[in-house]
Amino acid sequence: MSSRIKYLTAAAALAVTTSSFAGEGAATFQADFLAGKLSWQNVVQEAQKEGAVQFYYWGGSDELNVWIDSVAVPALAELGVKLVPNRITGTKDAVDLVLAEAASGRGIGEGSVDAIWLNGENFYTLSRQTMLFGSFAQVLPNADNFEWDPADQRSQLNFRDFGVETGSQEIPWSGEQYVCAVNRALVSTDETLKTFDDLKAYLEANPGKFTYVKPPNYVGNTFVQEVVYSFNPDGTGSAPFQKSLEDLGVDELARLAAPGFEYLRSIEPQLLGAASGNVRYPEDAAASRGLFANGETHIHCEFGLFAVATNRANGSYPETAEEVVFPAGNMIKNKNYLAIVANAPNPAAALVFANYMASVDAQASKLEVIGYPAGIDPWKLSATDAQRLVEAAPPHFGVTQDELDANIAPDTNASLVDVIEATWLEFIERKATKPLAEIMASAAADLAR
Amino acid sequence: MQLATQPSGQLSTGATDRGVSRPVWLTLVALGPVTLVLGLLFGGACLLAVAQSLGFAPWFGINTFPDFGYFAALWGGGMFWNALGLTLYYGVVSTAVALGLALLLAQTLVKSFPGRALYRFVYKLPLMIPYTVGIALAVIMMGNGGMMSRLAATLGLISDPAEFPRLLHTHSGWGIIAVYVWKQTPFITLAIYAVLLGNGQEKEEAAAILGANRRQIFFGVTLPQIMPGIVSATLICFSFSIGAFEAPFILGGGFPDTLPVMAWRYFNDANYNLQAQGMATVVSIGIVAGIILFLYLTAYRNFERRRGRV
Amino acid sequence: MAARNPASHTTLSPFQKFYLWAFAAVVVGPFLPLIVQSFAFRWEWPNLLPTEWWFTSRARARLPQGWDYVFSPHSRLAEATLNTVSIGLVVMVLCLAICMPAARVLARMEFRGKPAFEFFLSLPLVIPESAIGIALLLIFIHLGLAGNIMGIVIAHLIPTIPYMVRMLTAVYQGLGAEFEEQSYVLGASRWQTFRMVTLPMLMPGIVAGCLFTFLVSTNIFLLTFFLGQGRIITLPTLLFAKVSSGTLDASAAGLTLLVSLPGVVLLIVSEHFVKEEAFGKGFGA
Repeated sequence: MSSRIKYLTAAAALAVTTSSFAGEGAATFQADFLAGKLSWQNVVQEAQKEGAVQFYYWGGSDELNVWIDSVAVPALAELGVKLVPNRITGTKDAVDLVLAEAASGRGIGEGSVDAIWLNGENFYTLSRQTMLFGSFAQVLPNADNFEWDPADQRSQLNFRDFGVETGSQEIPWSGEQYVCAVNRALVSTDETLKTFDDLKAYLEANPGKFTYVKPPNYVGNTFVQEVVYSFNPDGTGSAPFQKSLEDLGVDELARLAAPGFEYLRSIEPQLLGAASGNVRYPEDAAASRGLFANGETHIHCEFGLFAVATNRANGSYPETAEEVVFPAGNMIKNKNYLAIVANAPNPAAALVFANYMASVDAQASKLEVIGYPAGIDPWKLSATDAQRLVEAAPPHFGVTQDELDANIAPDTNASLVDVIEATWLEFIERKATKPLAEIMASAAADLAR
Repeated sequence: MQLATQPSGQLSTGATDRGVSRPVWLTLVALGPVTLVLGLLFGGACLLAVAQSLGFAPWFGINTFPDFGYFAALWGGGMFWNALGLTLYYGVVSTAVALGLALLLAQTLVKSFPGRALYRFVYKLPLMIPYTVGIALAVIMMGNGGMMSRLAATLGLISDPAEFPRLLHTHSGWGIIAVYVWKQTPFITLAIYAVLLGNGQEKEEAAAILGANRRQIFFGVTLPQIMPGIVSATLICFSFSIGAFEAPFILGGGFPDTLPVMAWRYFNDANYNLQAQGMATVVSIGIVAGIILFLYLTAYRNFERRRGRV
Repeated sequence: MAARNPASHTTLSPFQKFYLWAFAAVVVGPFLPLIVQSFAFRWEWPNLLPTEWWFTSRARARLPQGWDYVFSPHSRLAEATLNTVSIGLVVMVLCLAICMPAARVLARMEFRGKPAFEFFLSLPLVIPESAIGIALLLIFIHLGLAGNIMGIVIAHLIPTIPYMVRMLTAVYQGLGAEFEEQSYVLGASRWQTFRMVTLPMLMPGIVAGCLFTFLVSTNIFLLTFFLGQGRIITLPTLLFAKVSSGTLDASAAGLTLLVSLPGVVLLIVSEHFVKEEAFGKGFGA
C-alpha cells in the first residue's frame, strides 16, 4: 500500500466515526439491493432519507465544474437528493482516501466518498482491493441505455476498463477518443499526417514544432501507448497489450515495445526546445494547449473527441485548428466511469446519482454544453433519443465522425501502464543507457514490491 | 538604578525588570507557547523527517534504523548532485543580483527627489504579492509566446515564436531567477534603506567633507552600517530560494529539477521506497540550509572581527 | 532620526533617474499585459492586443468565461478569499499573543542559552517549508489536525513567529525600562502602565509585526497545500492550481489580479501606519 494510504489510515482511525447504526442500515441496504430484493422505488425512498452524495472528481476543467454545479446539482435536487461535488487535483487522492478509510475499519455507510469519476489504473486499484460497492450497473433503470450483450463486440467497453473486468461495478459516464489537432494556418492540408512516419518527416522539415505531454500524466501515457501500438513488430497493434502483465510477461512486453521507444528517442531532437538543448515536455494537457494556442507547436494531442469545437469556442485553441485522423488505425478510444465505493456513506443516494448520470437527459446536456461524448450506447436508445444525441454533438472540423470511428484502438491493460510509464521516465527522460528490456524488468520488479 | 552590563557584552537599557529578578516560572510561561509551537511542530517535523530518512517508520512496518541506505542511494546517484548544483545556482545568482539592485535602490531612496513618496509605495509592491503572481507575470512576459517575444515580432526581429531566445523552461532558469529577483529586491532594499534612514547621513557627509571619494565612503562608512541588515536579509532570501517549490516547478527546465521539486516528485509516487527517498532529499535540503547558515555566520563573524566589533 | 541637511537634497545622477524609472517599469509594467489578458478572448501571437475581446465573446458563450467565471460561484473565489483572510487574521492575533511575552523576556532578560534560543527561534527562516511539509503532515494526522482550519492556522505560526519575535524584541529593546519604572513610581498599576505607557510606545513595532505576519500568512502555499489535504482552499492554492500549467487564460489572469489586490491594500495600509524603520528592525542586528 502506498504510504499516502497509510497516512490517511492513521487519520481516519483517529477521527470520530459515525454511529454504527448508519453503518448497519447501509449494510442491510447494500445486501438487499445486490440480492435484487429492492425495487427502484425503494432505492429512491432510501436515497431521500440519506445524506448528500459525496462525488469526487477531477476539478481541473472549468467547464465541467460549471456543468456539474449548474446542471447536475439542480437535477438531482429535483429527485430529492443533494449532490456535493468535491473537486480534487488527482483522482488518485480520492482512491487513497477510500482505501485509508477502509483500512481503519470504516465500512459501508461510514466512509466519506460515495462516487468517484475514474477509469484505468484507479479503477484497477479499487477493484484489486475489493473496495467497490458491487455490481449495480446492469440493475439501474437507465442500464437499458447500454449494451450488455457480451456477444456484441460493441459492448467491450462496458465490460472492460483498460482491459480489466468491470463486473458492472462501475457505469460508463463519458466516452473519449485521443484526437490530435493541427493548426491549419501553419500546417497546410497537403501535408498528410496519417502515420508516425509522416510525423517524423514533418518534424524534420519543421523541427521543434511539436511536443507531447510527458508521462506519468495520463495524456502522455496515451501518446506513448499509441506509438507502441503503431510500432508493434508483430503488426498486431493493440491486441497483445490488452493482456495483463502476468499473462504477457515483461520480456515479451519489452520486445513488443522496443521499436516504439526507439522511435520516441529518435524524434526527441526534433521536439520543442531541442534546438536550444532542453526538450520541453509539458506537464499536462493545459500546458500543451497553451503552446498550441501560441503557435509554438503546430500539432497538439489530447483526449477530446469534440475538443476542437469546444476549445475554438472558448478561445483556448487557435481559430484555424482542425482535427486529423492520426495515427491511422490506432486512435485510442475509451470510456470513463462512475464507480461507487464499498464504504460509501450514502449508497442509495449514490445509486440515484449514477442513474441520473446515465440518463439521456444528462448525457445529451453534457454533450451539448461541454462537448463530452456520451458514455451511453446510441444504438440502444429510442430513435428520438438517439437523434437528440446526434443533434447535441458539436461539429467536427476537417474529419468526419465515421473516419474517427474507423480508426479506433482500445487502451492498454492497466497493469502494463505503470511499467510503460516508469520505462519512459527512465529511458527517455533520464536517458538511461541500459537496454530497454533491463529497464522494463527493473521497473516491473519495483512496482511489484 | 543600576546599569547592569550583560555578560554577552550587549548594552542594556536598564536593569532587569524593576530591579527584581523575575521568578523563573514566569519566564517559562512567557517563553512557553513560542517554544511549544516551534519545538513541537517545527522541531518535531525536522526530527521526524530525519528519522524517516534513516529508516525509522514503524507505523509503516519499516524499522531498519539506522539505515543510511536511502542517503547512499540518493547521494550516490548523479541526479542529486545535479539538482543540488542547480538549486544553489538559482539561489546564488538571484540573491546576488537582488543585492546589487537593492544597494543601488536604497542609496537612491535616501536622496530626496520629486515623487519619492509615491516611489516608496511602488517599490514595495512585489513584497506584498504572492510568489505565484510573480510566476504568472514571468509567464506572460518572458515566455516564447509572451509579451517580450511579441514586441520582438512587432519590431520585425523575429518571425516565429521559436526564434525568441528560450528564457523559461530551461535549466539556465532565467524565469526562476527573474521571479526571485523581482520578489527579493524590495525585501533587501527595505532592510538596507531602514538602516540608512535610521542612521542618517551625517557620517557620510563628514567623510565627504574630509575628502573621501565615493568608493571610500561606501566601503568605509556605509557598508559597515548596513552589513547586519544585508547579512540577515540575504540569508533569508537565499534560504528561501533553496527551498522554494512553486517557481522551479512551473518555470523550470524539467529533469533534473531542483531539490524541492525532486522531493515532491518522490512523495507523489506510489512506490513506497521513493517516499523514504523523498525524506532523504528533504533532509538533505535541511542540511544544505544548515551548512549555508553556518558558513554565512562564520564569514560574518570574521567580517565583524576585522572591523574590531565582535 | 535623520536630520535634514542640505546634502540629502542632492539631485539624482542621470543613471539613478534612469534606474528608478526602469525599476518601477519592471515592478508595475508586467501587470498591464495581465490586465489585458483578463479581458481577452483570443490573443494569439504576435498580436500586441487581442483580436477578440471578452466583451464580444461573452455574449455568445454558453458557459461563463473570463471574469464571468471568476466572479461566479464556480470558481470558489469567495471561499478561498474568506479562508485566506480569516486564517491570516487569526494567525496574526495568535502570533502577537504568544510572541509578545517572549519578546519582552528576550529583550530584557539574560539567561543561559539565550543566544541558542534566539537562534532556534530564527531557524524557520532558514529551513524551508518543503523540508518540513510532509513530516509536519504526519504529525498533524496524529494530532487530528490535518485537513482542518485550526491546523492550518497553527502551521502558519511556524514561518511567522521568527519575524514577529524579532520585530517585537527590537521595539522592546528600544523602549527603555525607565519609562515603565517612572510610571510605577508615580503610582500607576501594572495594567495602567501597560495600557498607557508601554503599549503606545510599542505600537509601531506591533503594527509592523502584525502586518508582516498577515502578509506572510496570506502568501503561504506549500504548507497550506500539504496540510489542507485539498479540503481547505486559500488564494495561493487556488491560484497555483490555475497557473501550474504554465499558461494563463483569461480567467487565470483575472484570478491573478484579484489575488494581488489584498497585497495592494496591505501596502496602502502599511504605508499609512508604519515607517520603514520599523520593518528594518526585523532584519537588523
